[in-house]
Amino acid sequence: MASIIDIKDECALHVRDFEFTYKGAAAPSLKKVSMPIAKHSVTALIGPSGCGKTTLLRSFNRMHDLYPGNTYNGEIEFEGRNILNPKEDLIHLRTKIGMIFQKPTAFPMSIFDNVAYGMRLQGIKNKSELEGRVEKALQDAALWKEVKDRLKHDANGLSGGQQQRLCIARAIAVEPEVLLFDEPTSALDPISTQGIEKLVIELKERVSIIIVTHNMQQAARVSDYTGFMYLGELIELGHTEELFVTPKEKLTQEYITGKFG
Amino acid sequence: MTAVQKRIIINKLALAFSTLSAIIALAFLFWILGVLVMKGVHALNWNIFIYEGSPPGYAESGLKHALVGQLILVGLATFIGVPLGILAGTYLSEYGKNSKLAHTIRDISDIMMSAPSIVIGAFVYAVVVMPMGHFSAWAGAIALAIIMIPVILRTTDDMLQLVPGTLREAAFALGAPKYKVIIDIVYRGAKAGILTGVLLGIARVGGETAPLLFTSFNDNFFTTDLNEAMPSLTVTMFNYAISPYDDWQQLGWAAAFILSMFILGLNIMGRLILLMGKRK
Repeated sequence: MASIIDIKDECALHVRDFEFTYKGAAAPSLKKVSMPIAKHSVTALIGPSGCGKTTLLRSFNRMHDLYPGNTYNGEIEFEGRNILNPKEDLIHLRTKIGMIFQKPTAFPMSIFDNVAYGMRLQGIKNKSELEGRVEKALQDAALWKEVKDRLKHDANGLSGGQQQRLCIARAIAVEPEVLLFDEPTSALDPISTQGIEKLVIELKERVSIIIVTHNMQQAARVSDYTGFMYLGELIELGHTEELFVTPKEKLTQEYITGKFG
Repeated sequence: MTAVQKRIIINKLALAFSTLSAIIALAFLFWILGVLVMKGVHALNWNIFIYEGSPPGYAESGLKHALVGQLILVGLATFIGVPLGILAGTYLSEYGKNSKLAHTIRDISDIMMSAPSIVIGAFVYAVVVMPMGHFSAWAGAIALAIIMIPVILRTTDDMLQLVPGTLREAAFALGAPKYKVIIDIVYRGAKAGILTGVLLGIARVGGETAPLLFTSFNDNFFTTDLNEAMPSLTVTMFNYAISPYDDWQQLGWAAAFILSMFILGLNIMGRLILLMGKRK
């Protein structure tokens, strides 16, 4: 049986008996997943490829809805409502729950316009407000010093690590409550990876973070809670230290010691 | 002779034959272009741009009517065909995707692309010229637009699909509605490709004669009335070239030269834009 710790602090999200089935699939890819996501902390999701961690992550901002035919069951509670409700306003939801992707996704426009994009979508037109918030977001993403003299340049001229920080700046500029990171450093070199990890730890002061990673050291370095997933089930969720040092489940222990995966 | 020596000889033979074939094929192309440039440049003079058509034997005759007519016809066709082609391509790439309807449209569009252009001219004759009761620039432009649409539709579809899906997802993840994602992200990412498609589409119809023969017909005089028959470089060239008069034939050469350079220019521009877009 799964071993899920009970989080006493306030929670950002509550997953209850969540099941997800891809279009045309016979069996659900996620089976009865239940977990709390602590507020203002980092929760890492680990597990072998195909275990459903990215599928779970992409459920939090209903990214699966871009491809019709997938079905959700169960409940994901956010701000007092079930966001799996078909009537949920996805545009509003996605401004509250932002996402950073595996590969940097700089839009084909200037650095400034990239960061301002989400704010402009929300109807902010005032130039000085935009400028102020773009600078703030870039500073928070530790990118301001590198780009402040070339805000009008094409964002695709930045390096991979810079582009990923640009994406983080773009996501935090709209002041979300939750940030989802989908293997954000798997396309980056070690030094850029360090920068992103440092940023994740700093950002948890303001947002709740869920990060999917293939790298167990990364999970150990950045996260407060870690969930181990296997074959569509959440096997164990615990404080990161405890999970890595004294896992309660045999499967977890076998995975973190490298017996499979 | 060893097996290796044999292979080397076969290799050299194959290389020699394919090179020879390429030279022969290109030789004809350069022959045509060479004759066109020599005769065309020789026939060029300022009168061509100043005077409209006149009966053979007059010194003051030119191609102004056909040049302006050509620009109006192609411009009007672009005005009709480009928005339709781009929007249809957008539907295929962003909404239809792999649905049955989308595949059917793609197949029909591909068939349209290779349909004989005179058939399209006959179609427009039946649905536009007959009800109107006379030839018109509108009919000519509609015929050209119908030929242009599949070219633009296909390139738009292809170019939009080249924009990575993760870029779309990233925009959706920021709370962008679908039309915003398409306009802000997808079009922007594919703009060089779309522009190339538009230029190639224009180049494709720029040299068409058959669809104009019984739609915009022809006229030897300058006109900007879209409800009248309108001269074009291609049909004028056709008429002048088969005429027995030397000065008309000279004008035909000039028209051929100008048209070829126009289309060559469009093609080169289209390819350059695509190249620059890729390099970025």
